[in-house]
Amino acid sequence: MSRIELVDLRKEYGNVVAVKAMDLTIEDGEFIVFVGPSGCGKTTTLRMIAGFEDPTNGEIRIDGTVVNEKEPGDRDLGMVFQSHALFPHKNVADNIAFGLRMKKVPQDEQAARVKEVSELVRITHLLGKMPAQCSGGESQRIALARTLVTEPSNFLLDEPLSSLDAKLRRELRAECDRLHDELQKTFIYVTHDQEEAMTLADRIIVMNQGEIVQQGTPMEIYSDPVSYFVADFFGNPAMNLIDGEFAKSGDGMEFKSGHFDIPLPAKFSAVTSGSGTLGIRPENVGIGASSGGATIEREVELVEPLGKDTLLYFETEEARPFVAVIEGTEEVKRHANVTINFPDDAIFLFDANGDRIR
Amino acid sequence: MAMTKTQRRNAFSAFRYLMLTFWLLIVAFPIFWMVSTSFKPDSEWFAWPPVYISENATLQNYLVVWADVSEYATNEKGELQTYTQSLQRPWEALGNSAIISVIATTLSVLFGSVLAYGVSRYQILSEGRMFQLLMLRMVPPIVLVAPISIWYSSLGLLDTILGLVMLYFLTTLPYAVWMSKSFIDEVPREMEQAAEILGASRARTIWEVVLPLVRSGLVATFLFILILTWSEYLLALLLSKTAVVTLPVELSKYQGSTEGRVYGRQAALSVGITLPLIVVGMIIRKHLARGFSFGMVRR
Repeated sequence: MSRIELVDLRKEYGNVVAVKAMDLTIEDGEFIVFVGPSGCGKTTTLRMIAGFEDPTNGEIRIDGTVVNEKEPGDRDLGMVFQSHALFPHKNVADNIAFGLRMKKVPQDEQAARVKEVSELVRITHLLGKMPAQCSGGESQRIALARTLVTEPSNFLLDEPLSSLDAKLRRELRAECDRLHDELQKTFIYVTHDQEEAMTLADRIIVMNQGEIVQQGTPMEIYSDPVSYFVADFFGNPAMNLIDGEFAKSGDGMEFKSGHFDIPLPAKFSAVTSGSGTLGIRPENVGIGASSGGATIEREVELVEPLGKDTLLYFETEEARPFVAVIEGTEEVKRHANVTINFPDDAIFLFDANGDRIR
Repeated sequence: MAMTKTQRRNAFSAFRYLMLTFWLLIVAFPIFWMVSTSFKPDSEWFAWPPVYISENATLQNYLVVWADVSEYATNEKGELQTYTQSLQRPWEALGNSAIISVIATTLSVLFGSVLAYGVSRYQILSEGRMFQLLMLRMVPPIVLVAPISIWYSSLGLLDTILGLVMLYFLTTLPYAVWMSKSFIDEVPREMEQAAEILGASRARTIWEVVLPLVRSGLVATFLFILILTWSEYLLALLLSKTAVVTLPVELSKYQGSTEGRVYGRQAALSVGITLPLIVVGMIIRKHLARGFSFGMVRR
């Protein structure tokens, strides 16, 4: 049983507030992913949990004990760094055994555990090599092994995959998932990659400007974002977000932008007039008048067939085009005029501050 | 006619080698001349046209300087005269130089690297302070000599080994800090933190992680400072008189009103001054190549 509690945690560097009054409880065995853009405070939070940064204010409790004053090595934590941080002058086996040696585990037991853990992450063939002889992916596995071997209750992973290429990243992502399943330990994982967060997390903590802006399961975050920021951050291709204005139109409301005007669904009839943003995920955009929502006619600017899906791009006045995803089997020609459909329940509205309007 | 790409590249390469050869000749010639002169009999020291490689090579210069072999020379009247070496004590000077420079360099690198670690990891000195530290080296040493000799004379440090050790240690400390800091900065913070979170103490982390990674750099720093202190002349000349003589000061004694200009002997002594440094350099050359190329730590 190992529960991590952050109570009113705050970190300032001079005048800069990196983390603002954070409260969070992480349950035993949870896979938590902190996600957000760079500078949002996620890594600072992780480093405070690890003990490399002293909080300006607030408490960190592990199993109910305040650990603020404890050294990193005494907190029952393991950490994997973005740079792997392997010791370049020690071979792989010595790297892995380092933690055991520090904890004065007997020699023969050390050897046995190094062997066991290197089987777990499949690097037995690397044990005699030096870190410089290993590839990026191998290095990260070694770093994982070095952390696993000391059997901490909690694993901290600081953007462990961001220095790897896309294919390796997917491979090691699956590996992290498998390890979490096998070990049933707490994983706290920091990333700026929404896809990693979506695929790995039991619970995603979305951070921005030193604050938690939303937390929940990946599906909750995806389907029910609380703000423009979260809506924009999750999803690939990203949600279409069009700035415009909400205005009265007869009994209901309509959305007007330089690009198009559409009536808003009845549930938004109480929205106050003024500027705001309309959002719709590309996969929810209907092509062809079928699903009963508002429709507009537009010319297809670009067709991008990806095999299973096809992306359609439409010109807008925004910095980025309006995107729709359709089945790969449907055929739409470039420059064809199509009907774009906004299904009622797929429309998100955000006010001028970026907060979600429900 | 325009050159092809290959021709251009070859021409550039030829030019580069030409320049390097030219540079090498300029740098190597004094060393060649020193070695060559050290084997010349006295008749060839001033010969014109100059003798580059003596056909009458002799070990006489070395014997006179290092083995204290008395020598007879003809004076201008053609009479044989004993040439006295009473003022020269090369072995003693070698011993003094070795003791002073090794102790001062060791202290400098030891304290300098500890200070550099503090600066690199804990910012114990601001950038401004670090620059001030380097500025100490910008003061011409001659400016310091007068106040220091007054100070030293009242402390009884004039003409002592301790006096020179202290002075060399303090004047080279800025180099030691700056150089070793650049090597320590190369060791990623995360590597230390990885060791820490695996349960290593601060001291253990430095011993097992930082030190092995900066060892080559520290060796390079050591040699650099050793060369400085080994060949320092001005302070040694002015702050020590008779009791403590270092090699560079000893070397100056071979030119003077009483001795004349005994180039061959001086060259033989110079070879003796240079050789130890070359030997040290050879012994630690593996470290030097690594130390001076930085970036051995793969990120």
